[in-house]
Amino acid sequence: MGNASHFALFDLTPDFRLDLEGLAARYRERVRRVHPDRFAGASEREQRLALEESAQLNEAYQTLRSPSRRARYLLALQGEEMPQETTVQDPAFLMQQMELREELQELQEGADLGGLAAFKRRLGQAQEQLNEGFAACWADPLRRDEAERLARRMQFLDKLSAEVRQLEERLDD
Amino acid sequence: MALLQIAEPGQSPQPHQRRLAVGIDLGTTNSLVAALRSSLAESLADADGEVILPSAVRYRADGLVEVGRRAKAVAAGDPLNTVLSVKRLMGRGIADLTLLGKQLPYRFVEGESHMPFLDTVQGPKSPVEVSAEILRVLRRRAEEALGGELVGAVITVPAYFDEAQRQATKDAARLAGLNVLRLLNEPTAAAVAYGLDRRAEGVVAVYDLGGGTFDISILRLTQGVFEVLATGGDSALGGDDFDHAIANWIVEQAGLSADLDPGTQRHLLQLACAAKEALSESSSVALAYGPWQGELSREHFDALIEPLVARSLKACRRALRDAEIELEDISAVVMVGGSTRVPRVRQVVAELFDHPPLTDIDPDQVVAIGAALQADTLAGNGRDGEELLLLDVNPLSLGLETMGGLMEKVIPRNTTLPVARAQDFTTYKDGQTAMLIHVLQGERELVKDCRSLARFELRGIPPMVAGAAKIRVTFQVDADGLLGVSARELGSGVEASVQVKPSYGLTDGEVARMLKDSFEHAGGDKAARMLRELQVEAQRLLEAVQAALEVDGEALLSSEERVAIAAQMQALRDALEAQDGAVIELHTRRLAQVTDAFAARRMDASVKAALAGRRLNEIEE
Repeated sequence: MGNASHFALFDLTPDFRLDLEGLAARYRERVRRVHPDRFAGASEREQRLALEESAQLNEAYQTLRSPSRRARYLLALQGEEMPQETTVQDPAFLMQQMELREELQELQEGADLGGLAAFKRRLGQAQEQLNEGFAACWADPLRRDEAERLARRMQFLDKLSAEVRQLEERLDD
Repeated sequence: MALLQIAEPGQSPQPHQRRLAVGIDLGTTNSLVAALRSSLAESLADADGEVILPSAVRYRADGLVEVGRRAKAVAAGDPLNTVLSVKRLMGRGIADLTLLGKQLPYRFVEGESHMPFLDTVQGPKSPVEVSAEILRVLRRRAEEALGGELVGAVITVPAYFDEAQRQATKDAARLAGLNVLRLLNEPTAAAVAYGLDRRAEGVVAVYDLGGGTFDISILRLTQGVFEVLATGGDSALGGDDFDHAIANWIVEQAGLSADLDPGTQRHLLQLACAAKEALSESSSVALAYGPWQGELSREHFDALIEPLVARSLKACRRALRDAEIELEDISAVVMVGGSTRVPRVRQVVAELFDHPPLTDIDPDQVVAIGAALQADTLAGNGRDGEELLLLDVNPLSLGLETMGGLMEKVIPRNTTLPVARAQDFTTYKDGQTAMLIHVLQGERELVKDCRSLARFELRGIPPMVAGAAKIRVTFQVDADGLLGVSARELGSGVEASVQVKPSYGLTDGEVARMLKDSFEHAGGDKAARMLRELQVEAQRLLEAVQAALEVDGEALLSSEERVAIAAQMQALRDALEAQDGAVIELHTRRLAQVTDAFAARRMDASVKAALAGRRLNEIEE
């Protein structure tokens, strides 16, 4: 395995569009072969290798499954890894970020579960739109900036989804 | 020449090829050991035919250790030396014991590791040692039942057990002389037990309410791969708490003082447990304690346990969210653990998941059975391609302490195992060669609200200007759910040495002492095993001689010879009664000698018969 790309581990050509079912089937097929449970009676060295290989396979699978992580990964494969947090360069989206955060805050204060469900749906739709946008431009080196911007927005919405889940949990109390 | 068993051609017995491995359910209230026998996974019984071993250990003043029913029976009379539900103490620090909230009828002392030890009449005992006693009994039972030494065992743990609790379980197995093939999460084991029976593909929810722990796991089975989507639970919630609720009600009703002596506490809990079980069948139960008499209705019992049941449902809802599935996606619900017999529990679970729960496999045995199936696979007995692969997840987020007492998550909960994540650090002082990393488990923001796992000291960083070093620390969680840490300075490629100081673990000195104690035990184990082997061989010889006498005794032996053989057989039977290995061995050899001539004659006779048969056939041709 070594430095094979995540896509190569699954015999896939790097692309943003991905058949998740197909990926899952390939994952299952491969993990069966490298999982440490297959080496329960083997030498320590083999067990350690199995541990490392399956950890790598799991990491690759989790990265490719998530659209926003997949997007960042594709960009990293193409050029340099994206620098971490630089939302300052996206003033248009910054407004939207603040609005979304405020809305979430209000939902929390109002303990509004119904409103939260509607918010989640809108969030899902926004994520879909970003996915489409990214799919259209990532392969074009001239549109690199745009692709990076979209990837950052996807990451933000991911974080927001996580906060929504945390809020759901708190409201369950 | 020894007495041979003459087999028909084509019927010679196969050499024993199976590698012996077992599944062990080390439960809070009850423990079991199971194995695959003739393609069927079943619990192994003790000499009395019982499969359940109560998780009770009693340290007697005379130095003996009792495990199981006998220990449980006298618990109320010797509460300080009889340990019940030791699982609740595994991997727990002294501060945790007070947090557990209930009055535990034991005396504790602090070990050099600052871990609590039970103060018994045989001295301080770590919960790890107590658990090892239970495991030892199960190991011996398995070796006797299966007729050989074990290659290893799969031991189950609650899915929600943290690192310290898992490590403690592994330590206990080591003390008991068991090779742990894998620590398997209990709900996953239960799912395996049902999965193989049903060959179903789909999403399964496992609701596992044991004596002391609650686990909820959502798993998906696809083409032989069992993937845990999410797991959750409460490692301090179980049927024991139902008992406490009833016991507290009795204390209230009977007007007893809140400060009870250990014997009384133990007695009340036993009364409460009996009441809880009775209420699964009847709608009310009569209770008496001392002069007080009362009646507990099922309705009132339901009200008493309502907050506990609600806690379990909350964990279920969280797991469903984490799994990101809808209720409609669930194809089956499995109930595990004796406490799931409580009607109210079954009712709320059926309501939440909108499915009648599956209970056909005995909820007390299902975990051990699943573990046995997996043990068989891991021991290498399975046929390639046919085994289930179990993909479990870490139940709690793993993270590091960062500036300002904050917990930064490195590996979020419900990540498929094994997993490895790296984090880069740098030095803040010129020439710095060491670094301290504090690893925690939990979901909260602040370090103080999370559980400290361990402090890792990295040494051997090449001295550089502050900020120049780039140290990549890799956190790896293996299939057992245990953490490993490694570190490398990227510039020079130097591997840092990592010293682990677990927050809730025993010191090396304590473990060494316990291992030494257990080796002394093992001396006794070895002698016991040898005796067993001699007994088995003697028994076999007696049976073979008996069978041979019945067939050919009259025809091939004179009456004096028959008398001599009978006398030696009796001598061997007497030796078996006396249980003295050397004497048994002596008389076994003598019986073989005295039947030597008999064996030779049988051989001649059967060869002649075989030859005669053949000649007849040839003539017919």
